[in-house]
Amino acid sequence: MSFLRSISSIAILLLGCGTIGAASLDKASLELDRRFESTIRPFIETYCLDCHSAEKPKADFDLSPYDNLKAVVRDHAHWEMVLEKLQIGDMPPKKAKQHPAPAQSQAVVAWILEMRRHEAEKNAGDPGPVLARRLSNAEYDRTIRDLTGVDLRPTKEFPVDPANQEGFDNSGESLVMSPALLKKYLGAARVVSEHAVLNLDGIAFASHPMMVHTDRDKYGTLRIVDFYQRQPTDYADYFAAAWRFKNRAPLGKPRATLPEVAAGSKVSPRYLATVWEALNAKEDVGPIAKVQRLWLGLPVQKRGQPPVDVRKDCEAIRDFVVALREKIQPEVPNLNGPGMNPSAQALVLWKNRQWAANRRTYDPELLQVDGLVKQAEAKGKDAPSYNRKKMKKKAREAEEDLKVPSDPALRAKYEAAFARFAATFPDVFYVKERARSFVDPEEEKANGNVGRLLSAGLHNQTGYFRDDGPLYDMVLDERGRLELDRLWDEFNMIASVPQRMHQSTVYFERTDSRFLSDAEFDFARAEDKDCTSGAKVKKLADLYYAKAVRTGASAATLAAIREHFDRVPVEIARIEKMERDAEPKHLEALVQFAGKAYRRPLAPEEREGLLAFYRTSRDKDGLTHDDALRDCIASVLMSPNFCYRVDLGEASGKEGKAPAKTVSRAAKENPLQPNGALPLSDYSLASRLSYFLWSSAPDEALLARAAAGDLHRPEVIAAQARRMLMDERVRGFAVEFGGHWLDFRRFEEHNAVDRQRFPNFNDELRQSMFEEPVRFILNAARENRPVLEFLDCDYTFVNPALAKHYGLSIPAVASNDWVRVDNIAGVGRGGLLSMSAFLTANSPGLRTSPVKRGYWVARRVLGERIPPPPASVPELPADEAKLGDLTLRETLAKHRADVSCAGCHQRFDSLGLVFEGFGPVGELRTKDLGGKPVDTHAVFPDGSEGSGLAGLRAYIKAHRQDDFLDNLCRKMLSYGLGRSLILSDEITVRDMRAKLRANGQRFGSLVESIVTSPQFLNKRGPEDLATK
Amino acid sequence: MRDPKENSPAARRLRISRRTFLRGVGVTMALPWLESVPAFGEEPLKAGAPAAMPKRFAALFWGNGVNGNHWWAKGSGKGMELSKSLQPMEGLKTKMNFIDGLFNRSAVGVGIHPGQTGNLLSGMPLMKGAVLKGGISMDQVLANHIGQDSIQPSMVLGCEQPITGYHESNFSMAYSSHISWQSADSPVPMEVYPSLAFDSLFENRGTRRTQSILDRVKDDASSLGRKISGHDKAKLDEYLTSVREVEKRIDRMRGDQAKAEKNAQGKNMPVAFMKRPDNGLPEDIREHMKLMCDITAMAFQTDKTRVVSLLLCRDLSGLFYPFLDVRKAHHSASHDDLSDDFERIARYYCSQVAYLAGKLDAMPEGDGTVLDHSCLMFLSNMWSGNRHDSTRLPILTVGGMGGTLETGRVLSYVGKGDENRKVCSLYLSLMDRMGVKLPRFGDAETRLAGV
Repeated sequence: MSFLRSISSIAILLLGCGTIGAASLDKASLELDRRFESTIRPFIETYCLDCHSAEKPKADFDLSPYDNLKAVVRDHAHWEMVLEKLQIGDMPPKKAKQHPAPAQSQAVVAWILEMRRHEAEKNAGDPGPVLARRLSNAEYDRTIRDLTGVDLRPTKEFPVDPANQEGFDNSGESLVMSPALLKKYLGAARVVSEHAVLNLDGIAFASHPMMVHTDRDKYGTLRIVDFYQRQPTDYADYFAAAWRFKNRAPLGKPRATLPEVAAGSKVSPRYLATVWEALNAKEDVGPIAKVQRLWLGLPVQKRGQPPVDVRKDCEAIRDFVVALREKIQPEVPNLNGPGMNPSAQALVLWKNRQWAANRRTYDPELLQVDGLVKQAEAKGKDAPSYNRKKMKKKAREAEEDLKVPSDPALRAKYEAAFARFAATFPDVFYVKERARSFVDPEEEKANGNVGRLLSAGLHNQTGYFRDDGPLYDMVLDERGRLELDRLWDEFNMIASVPQRMHQSTVYFERTDSRFLSDAEFDFARAEDKDCTSGAKVKKLADLYYAKAVRTGASAATLAAIREHFDRVPVEIARIEKMERDAEPKHLEALVQFAGKAYRRPLAPEEREGLLAFYRTSRDKDGLTHDDALRDCIASVLMSPNFCYRVDLGEASGKEGKAPAKTVSRAAKENPLQPNGALPLSDYSLASRLSYFLWSSAPDEALLARAAAGDLHRPEVIAAQARRMLMDERVRGFAVEFGGHWLDFRRFEEHNAVDRQRFPNFNDELRQSMFEEPVRFILNAARENRPVLEFLDCDYTFVNPALAKHYGLSIPAVASNDWVRVDNIAGVGRGGLLSMSAFLTANSPGLRTSPVKRGYWVARRVLGERIPPPPASVPELPADEAKLGDLTLRETLAKHRADVSCAGCHQRFDSLGLVFEGFGPVGELRTKDLGGKPVDTHAVFPDGSEGSGLAGLRAYIKAHRQDDFLDNLCRKMLSYGLGRSLILSDEITVRDMRAKLRANGQRFGSLVESIVTSPQFLNKRGPEDLATK
Repeated sequence: MRDPKENSPAARRLRISRRTFLRGVGVTMALPWLESVPAFGEEPLKAGAPAAMPKRFAALFWGNGVNGNHWWAKGSGKGMELSKSLQPMEGLKTKMNFIDGLFNRSAVGVGIHPGQTGNLLSGMPLMKGAVLKGGISMDQVLANHIGQDSIQPSMVLGCEQPITGYHESNFSMAYSSHISWQSADSPVPMEVYPSLAFDSLFENRGTRRTQSILDRVKDDASSLGRKISGHDKAKLDEYLTSVREVEKRIDRMRGDQAKAEKNAQGKNMPVAFMKRPDNGLPEDIREHMKLMCDITAMAFQTDKTRVVSLLLCRDLSGLFYPFLDVRKAHHSASHDDLSDDFERIARYYCSQVAYLAGKLDAMPEGDGTVLDHSCLMFLSNMWSGNRHDSTRLPILTVGGMGGTLETGRVLSYVGKGDENRKVCSLYLSLMDRMGVKLPRFGDAETRLAGV
């Protein structure tokens, strides 16, 4: 299989990575090689190979293949273990047949140290082998999120990414591609493309597929409704703002203008001016006069006093306005025609238009002349309803506010006042949902017919109606109007609204309505493609009108029918023109999308290639614009320019137009390293930085620095890193780096807890446990905290679920609200070590595991390398209630008494025993599940003693702090570079440690050291290939 | 559903050019499964190895129920007695089951029509108002599990365009138009154009589009490849190799098919023929339904897909049946459900499943027919169109699912208690036989007893 062959060829290429840069052995290397022959190899053969040889090597470590310096250098990580074992005198084990003299071991130790130093210095700054790599699943998801603006997580069904030897899944060493995975990539690209919204002048993405009408309807309507709801249309806010303006001096802002007060009160300046004018106009009778009285009755602000809260009083004025407004709103009767259905579009839309036209008028007939109450006539109320349910109408009551005098002159004055009131205070600013227009609204409410967003109020037909005149005319400014117009245009175009409304007419009138059931209408079929063509619409309109005339429809009904069918073709033509005009804009947006996806500007030939693909899809393959564009989007997402990260050096980096001028500059400022390294192009650097800190693509600000060509400058890249650490996307770092480093990345799926025995461990608590270290690391990054706080501090982050688990009382917050809690030593928490995610993940379910917990501390936190246990180790009982007479601690002590186990276990059991005060789900406890009191005392590897978390902290602080810092530096460097570390990285690690010390061990200094390191800024040049 | 922009002048121009383009390939020949080639992604069968026949499933829906006086069956096997509306099944009665008395709990008492339809295949409650929510339908569950074994995971076909808007029950009419849902929120786009359904299968329209994308990816990768060196190239090669591998599978599938067709022609082996349907929608609904049944039959016979949902008409259908001498449209006619008119309509729909089943039964496969390895589930969303009664659903299954579904039976669950007559229990039982075993589906956690 050629596929397998290419995988193995990569493996071969990888093997040679350790010593790249030197064509032949230098003098010191020759010397080391000679000493290997004379001293080291014989030592190994004599004292090690009995156990560590090819046949069943102990600890899976076979020392037989190392026969020269090169072989050792290549595998230096393993040899670091040899170093450690010899340094602490662990090997050969006591039971070995023969033991070397101390000096002999010392010689090997010295050689290994010298070899490491030599290799490190010789290749200092070697960028190392950073392979081209596909995006990890996590990177893919986040990149799609930032590219499309919606969090689609297309990798849900992908297999889990494997990790490299440092434990991270972001390197080319472990990220491979296969045909099976490629098919999943295809599926993911298609899914994303199906979410594309081809709108008026570009491409957006929806959070749901956009392939059927109902989904397009949802997209369009929700955006418009969302816009409506963002607008300030509560009268109470305007009365309060007007009051604030009136009291501006005592409120301490004597110079504030009306627009400034509007801005401060978050209301529309335009409408506030209208309200202000009304409140200050000369009105002696009618509703505005009453509103003025109420408003003038608001409390007066006194100078130097805290602001008076007038909200409640303003709401009362609002309620008066709204209630009165409702009582004078003109009724609009249904329009009917013999044989016509009341839900005929011509009739319903006519009624909607009457309503819309009367938002700022009132019906003088509803006023009570000399207190005389006129009861409603039946007109308009007896329109046929589908529910046959009639609402009992309450008789109108006498109402002081509706009272007008009968004297004609006076009455006219009152009516004028009502007209001004209605014009100032519309009955509604916009209609965001409408039940059936031709049925009594109260009856519809009783029917539960709510939530039909932007509906035109038709029965069994597609239909939308825009009714937002007062909002548009009185509240919105120019920008708001443009945005609203655009939202409606977009909705009409994306969802083909006028076309589908007309198809609905054809369907409904031919079937349910039966008005067009005669044979002469048989030509009209909603499913025909030319159903909405000018000719067919006209033919239908003429026959429809003729039938209405024939059946004796009223003049008003005939006029409504005529008007309707005059509007339909105009509106359809308007939308079709929009579609045509949008096509070239979609192509421009496609090119921009590709640039964003490739994380750099497109080269001219790339742009042309993409557009040619579109043309071929349409012209040759006959796809529609919509289909062709979606295929283009899928092809962009399938391009290795998107789904791979290929670091291009300046010399080879002909990416787009921009880099051309920066080649020389970057190369000049950052000349070739002696080991043949190449400066990375600024665009590659931008990606490297963003995938390090965000696990996602660069943003515009970062790409702008790349375009300017100065990102490679240490001060520029450090400043960008600082900026990016403040961004919320740094969560990508907390989850991916923290999650892999500390091994909680998959804790969200942790299922080892027996939920019967621990019923409080539910999905919410598990999610909260996962979130705690994420929040902690996020905080460290954004607040630039000293990294030693990871181990020792007096705070953590909780939400209500976790607070309850920890026995903390926190202010009431929503379940996804997280707060920092301080001074929590009392409940035994603070920092990473006592977080329940780790305590739980390292418990097998019904007991704790000091072994696993200790191993986690030793390996993950302190960076110790410990070989795997031999296969023959007996299992401890799964339930600590079933340990018999011994406690778990005593059982482990027996374990350590066995010499073959002791070598390793004495290095970490104690680090886990101190956590015995925490149960299997990290809960505080005083007794274990077997009912025996817990003991948190431990003798640490160096013989010192301590108890509990405090004891462990003291031990680490005194003896192991360097191990922790060293490990953190290495892990973060490895993650940031996207590769396992090599010997020459030692210099950089040393540098990181020095900078940490100089900067109060602050988190930011780690990041800064990494992003300004030669490894980060460069890549290996092509000439190292010649040497391999 | 097609691209809603299909009516733009540009799209219309293109349709003409597409027709011209396709003139040369107006007929497809495809090989029956046994003689054919391994499905996409499968290893070729070894000669002589016993081939387990793939199982196929189709849900055929029609709206607004039956004339209850003429929808019954008695007895079993050859002696089964069929009512008037079921007469079209006379020749197939040993291969069918008449299932009576099942219901979908989430579709009862919530409001008529759309509320009785959008969840027919999911069993989940539907949300009213502008934002739709229900559940994934059982055909799509099957497609997700077994779809990777064929060229298309599933085909979702319809003979009537979907519509939206609101019914007086406040359910969206979209629920009346879609029985196949890819998720709780979104229906699967439904293909109503026979020509395009045909292309997707036999012109490999889907795979051809994929191939175009992959071609472009290859160009991109090789131009990137020119800028990079050794190690990076090796990683990129890994990608390119995967791309080529996927392409090769597509090619192999097509190439083998062409070769097999040539061989078969020489040896007088059965070859399925079908002419590409004309563009646009057939004028006559009979022709429309026949074409969709033909495409389904071809797809099953040649194993292009194993899961089909076919909406013969919507709930609240606006179809007319002049050829049945019925003047009213479907939905209006259903309000007089005990009329002779409506009986003829129900019988007409029964004749559609009979046509498809008969076609599949005429396709030899292994030691039986394609029908013997399939299940056609034919169902409506209510019993009585006048009473909008969804407490009892008319259901037929046709085909033996490779001997796992006993046929020739009348299964009545009338009066057996609501717990024991869930249609979702039937779905669990049928999905089991398709190799998809779920602990629960919709409102059911148990299989249907007696199936």
